[in-house]
Amino acid sequence: MIEIVINPDYCKGCNICVAFCPRKVLQTSNNINSKGYMLPEAVNLDVCTQCMLCEIVCPDLAIAVTPK
Amino acid sequence: MLKHPMLKYIREEGPAGKRLPFILCPGCGAGQVLNYTLHAVDDLINQSGVKKEDFVFISGIGCSSRLTSHYLNFDSGWTLHGRALPVATGVLLANPKLKIIVFTGDGDAAAIGGNHFIHAFRRNIDITVICVNNGLYGMTGGQVAPTTQLFTITPTTPYGNTEDAFDLCKLATTAGASYVSRWTTAHPFQTIKAIKKGIANKGASFIEILSQCPVHEHKTPVELINALKGITVSIDKSMNSNKIPVGEFHFAPRPEWTERYESIIEKANESIS
Repeated sequence: MIEIVINPDYCKGCNICVAFCPRKVLQTSNNINSKGYMLPEAVNLDVCTQCMLCEIVCPDLAIAVTPK
Repeated sequence: MLKHPMLKYIREEGPAGKRLPFILCPGCGAGQVLNYTLHAVDDLINQSGVKKEDFVFISGIGCSSRLTSHYLNFDSGWTLHGRALPVATGVLLANPKLKIIVFTGDGDAAAIGGNHFIHAFRRNIDITVICVNNGLYGMTGGQVAPTTQLFTITPTTPYGNTEDAFDLCKLATTAGASYVSRWTTAHPFQTIKAIKKGIANKGASFIEILSQCPVHEHKTPVELINALKGITVSIDKSMNSNKIPVGEFHFAPRPEWTERYESIIEKANESIS
């Protein structure tokens, strides 16, 4: 079971992970954190291949994917 | 809760409470480059048997330089503006076995520290310089820098920059660095590979990473990363192109300075005794 966790305290809603995701698993959403940033959301976990690209490109170390 | 794997190298808590999130603006390229560097360091620790204690991070002043001693769980130094390379030289002379990474910005390396920059590479000291180049002075308000591209509009050049930009890779190669490469924040895997090669190289390594500053360039991070992909071209295809070449520019290992220095110490001791 693949799990993608976005830490609401660290994420600043830059959406770089959404742009880099090759399978469009991550999408922008209307979830707002305590600082007012719009967090991304993992919508389609079935097609995630655990390429870890979102983890590698995150500038704030806020996203985590279940390791392979 | 599942955590980002690189958070094991970050001090999340300090004496004054929580240190994270980073002080950087949303979508800053310096955070991405820190992430790439930590991935490269993690690979070296897991695969090559280099110990975590062997790494030392030195930085000067600037947005990117802010990241090392404030957040990293490695030995690190936060030095004067532009003077990261002299401090790194001193650390290396005290213990030549250390793996020293100088994490710096373009203003720190090319503008105020320009002289130290060329002389560190002339000596071929065993350090790895990672330069986050966003082409402006981000921390002070986005003013024009020596690395700003021609005709770019900044607060101090409202009608466009009239000066040609510094090509840091050419400068480092000419000064004598033994490994030189340039990538952008849009090339994560290539950057990680380049940083690993730079750290493994015994001698001065220079890795320039073109980066984005969403606040001063007034665009979203994703637009800027796509623009970085658009303005760069692989070095193999760069002959008749006006775009910025990216790739590995120079790899020519040559004798390293601290080894020579120790041989001179031995020679002097022999002549005394």
